[in-house]
Amino acid sequence: MFKGMIHKGALSALAGLLAVMLILPCLIPRFYVYLIASILVMALLAMSLNLVVGFGGLFQFHHGVFYGVGAYAVALLITKTGLPQWICFVLAPFAAALAGLIIGLICIRLRQLYFAMIQISLGSLLWALAFRWYDFTGGDDGIHGIPMPDILSGIHNSYYFILTVFTLSIIGLFFILSSPFGITLQAARDNAQRCEAIGVFVRRHQLFAIVIASFFAGVAGVLFVVLEGSVFPDLLFWVLSLEILIMCLLGGWFTFAGPIIGAALMLSLRSFIGMQTEYWTLILGIILALLIFFLPQGVWGYILEKVKSRKEAVVEREA
Amino acid sequence: MDTASTYGLSELAMQLLVGLSRSMILFIISAGLSLILGVLRVPNVAHGSLYMIGAFAAFTVNTVIGGSLGFWLSLILAPLFVALVSFAAERALFCHLYEREHLMLLLFTFALMLILGDMVKLFWGVEYKSVTAPDILKGSVIILGQPFPTYNLFLLVIGPVVGFGLWLFVNKTRVGKISKAAAVDRMMVGALGINVSWVFCTAFVIGCFLAGLGGALVAPTMGLTLGMDHAIIMEAFLIVVIGGLGNIWGALVGSLIFGVTHSLGVMLLPQFAIIFPYVAVVIVLIFWPRGLLKSVW
Amino acid sequence: MLRVENLMNSFGDFRAVDGANLAVEKGKIVAVIGPNGAGKTTLFNLITGHLKPEAGKIIFKGEDITGLPPYTICKKGIARSFQLLNIFPRLTVFDNVQVAVLSQHNRSLHLFRPAKNLLVAETNHILENVGLLGKSQKIAGSLSQGDQKILEIAIALGNEPEFLILDEPTAGMSAEETTATMALVKRLAVEQGLTLLFCEHDIDIVFSMADRIMVMQQGKTIIEGTPDEVRQNEQVQQAYMGGS
Repeated sequence: MFKGMIHKGALSALAGLLAVMLILPCLIPRFYVYLIASILVMALLAMSLNLVVGFGGLFQFHHGVFYGVGAYAVALLITKTGLPQWICFVLAPFAAALAGLIIGLICIRLRQLYFAMIQISLGSLLWALAFRWYDFTGGDDGIHGIPMPDILSGIHNSYYFILTVFTLSIIGLFFILSSPFGITLQAARDNAQRCEAIGVFVRRHQLFAIVIASFFAGVAGVLFVVLEGSVFPDLLFWVLSLEILIMCLLGGWFTFAGPIIGAALMLSLRSFIGMQTEYWTLILGIILALLIFFLPQGVWGYILEKVKSRKEAVVEREA
Repeated sequence: MDTASTYGLSELAMQLLVGLSRSMILFIISAGLSLILGVLRVPNVAHGSLYMIGAFAAFTVNTVIGGSLGFWLSLILAPLFVALVSFAAERALFCHLYEREHLMLLLFTFALMLILGDMVKLFWGVEYKSVTAPDILKGSVIILGQPFPTYNLFLLVIGPVVGFGLWLFVNKTRVGKISKAAAVDRMMVGALGINVSWVFCTAFVIGCFLAGLGGALVAPTMGLTLGMDHAIIMEAFLIVVIGGLGNIWGALVGSLIFGVTHSLGVMLLPQFAIIFPYVAVVIVLIFWPRGLLKSVW
Repeated sequence: MLRVENLMNSFGDFRAVDGANLAVEKGKIVAVIGPNGAGKTTLFNLITGHLKPEAGKIIFKGEDITGLPPYTICKKGIARSFQLLNIFPRLTVFDNVQVAVLSQHNRSLHLFRPAKNLLVAETNHILENVGLLGKSQKIAGSLSQGDQKILEIAIALGNEPEFLILDEPTAGMSAEETTATMALVKRLAVEQGLTLLFCEHDIDIVFSMADRIMVMQQGKTIIEGTPDEVRQNEQVQQAYMGGS
């Protein structure tokens, strides 16, 4: 589905979009710059989740943990070790990937709901630790005022940094999904038994996918710290994990760009509706229920379907 | 660390009893969750919200009727109200999704959780609420030379009563037997010409009733706040996982492990007390990844 | 090439395979026949590692492969198709076969090279061989039932097997499709020097195609021999061919 995306028209459209993103901060108020930056962070997190859920078919129900581990890792490395910040930025995603490896090793023995439940319990253990270990993690207050390199001071600078890392990560994810690894992962999602019969060690494959997804979730965690300068236990809480699942659903499971659209829609709705009413979660719940009933393929998935059926109609007419 | 030695043996026993009485509440809630998981194969994320509604409804019954009569009535009316809410949600919306994939069912219960959570805020407001136990359950009794809260003793009695009632339901009633069969093999139940949708509905409503009962029972022991749904649902899930998905007695074992390790934690390392049960869960899962008792699926 | 000795497996109290014996020589076409529930599919699942036998041995090319996981057995040169449709429905036809080819060349874990430039010729060659090249960009799940069955065989061929197991390759096909598919299978087997083990309901096809036939009943091997030997066997005539 994304193979078709690389043709020239799409490529120039993407380049145009990137150019708009680059000049946007000069045109809009700071609040919107901040909003777009936080959308990019969430979008990266949701895309990393979609790698394992949409393309890998795994019940990764507590993906937020790896985001939290990445964020806490960078916060703790900066405040406790005194290593240069840039090194901490690089190390933190690997910490998240390591967490992914350990949790993945325990979960991957099981399937579906069991997989999900064990992942949720292990994640909750980490959350409880971050929540209570005041001396180390700051407990439920979290860690605030994490010093950032001077070059990242100010919302505009961090916006450009986040945009750069986001773009690179998306390209990385795109390559991974169109690589032999990515195609085999999707084959294992469609039919694990068949995939084993053609010589693929499916569980090892899926474990790699979890580690890769955790790595990118860790990158998103680092970007969160760059944007906010603080961490708190909610980053590891299961509610966040379910929220990013909703973003994937909102955008469309089996599409590459779906989670970006989902994150953008959800965060914009939250900030605009959240300004009008204190019952944002009620509205979110209703939106989610409507989606499940009427648009299970997601907004982007729906658009792609329409475009495709129109194309096919054109082809048929010509034939 | 020798904090344990600063406690006498009777304090230890007391602490364990408190843990056990907390286990009873957890058992009632997670048994409901387990029933739904077993029959519908859906982790009902809204379970915590229904528990919260149970607690707030108990508060309303207590305020309107008052006195000890209010309390005893709240134990019946609040869970019934919760059952009614869940029945409406199930018949109006949820039952149309049974043919869909699991993830959609789970996300729907999440949607329900979001909606119900804000509904509580809408109807009951954000203020802190509390319920007082009737006089007969106030104060404490002396056990092993130590004062022990009477209400906890009451919980220790009510837990087994509910457990026995649930056992009767599952093993002695027709609906219960069908639900049990549906948990093991739903194809077969469908083949017998039983309306599976109604079996699901019954199991869902009874499971939610138990959540409401747990909420009503917990009301006098703690302040009622809007976050209480988030706190309980994760614990209930973990209990169900370590007990064995869908196994009601597994829920009992899991609750006991959870309650007792938590009270041990309170004695040994108060700051990390909430971590103890989680560590216990992880240990159980590493050695028994499918839970301690036989899971139904 | 493949030797199965006294294989046993049961589901609960039910002995699905109860002492199956089979020897397949290189380059031969061997059919397994028997009534429904005779244990044919279970036998195949045991050979390819999808089930672990309770007793007995499976020897492939002189090596004991009993109880190895499916992905290891596949790498040793045994590929298979399944009785129920077993493709990757959301991938394109091309990707379906390419996944197997990639796995065969140990490329499944490669991360940073686009798959669409890898092993394309090999994949297209297989698709051409089975006659699906024209549909290579279609989503596999949208193919007709018959084409999906052929795609299954193509996926199995992606592993460049020496030994191919086909579990009812023509299930659900019309008579014409069945004839065409089996002709295709025979041609592939001859061209590529495959050793073929298959089961099939259509007795005429079995007797015209197979070099050797094994008859199973209630999990046991009744007889194993050339089509003529099998035809002569009284037990077979009674139990299976209904005395016709």
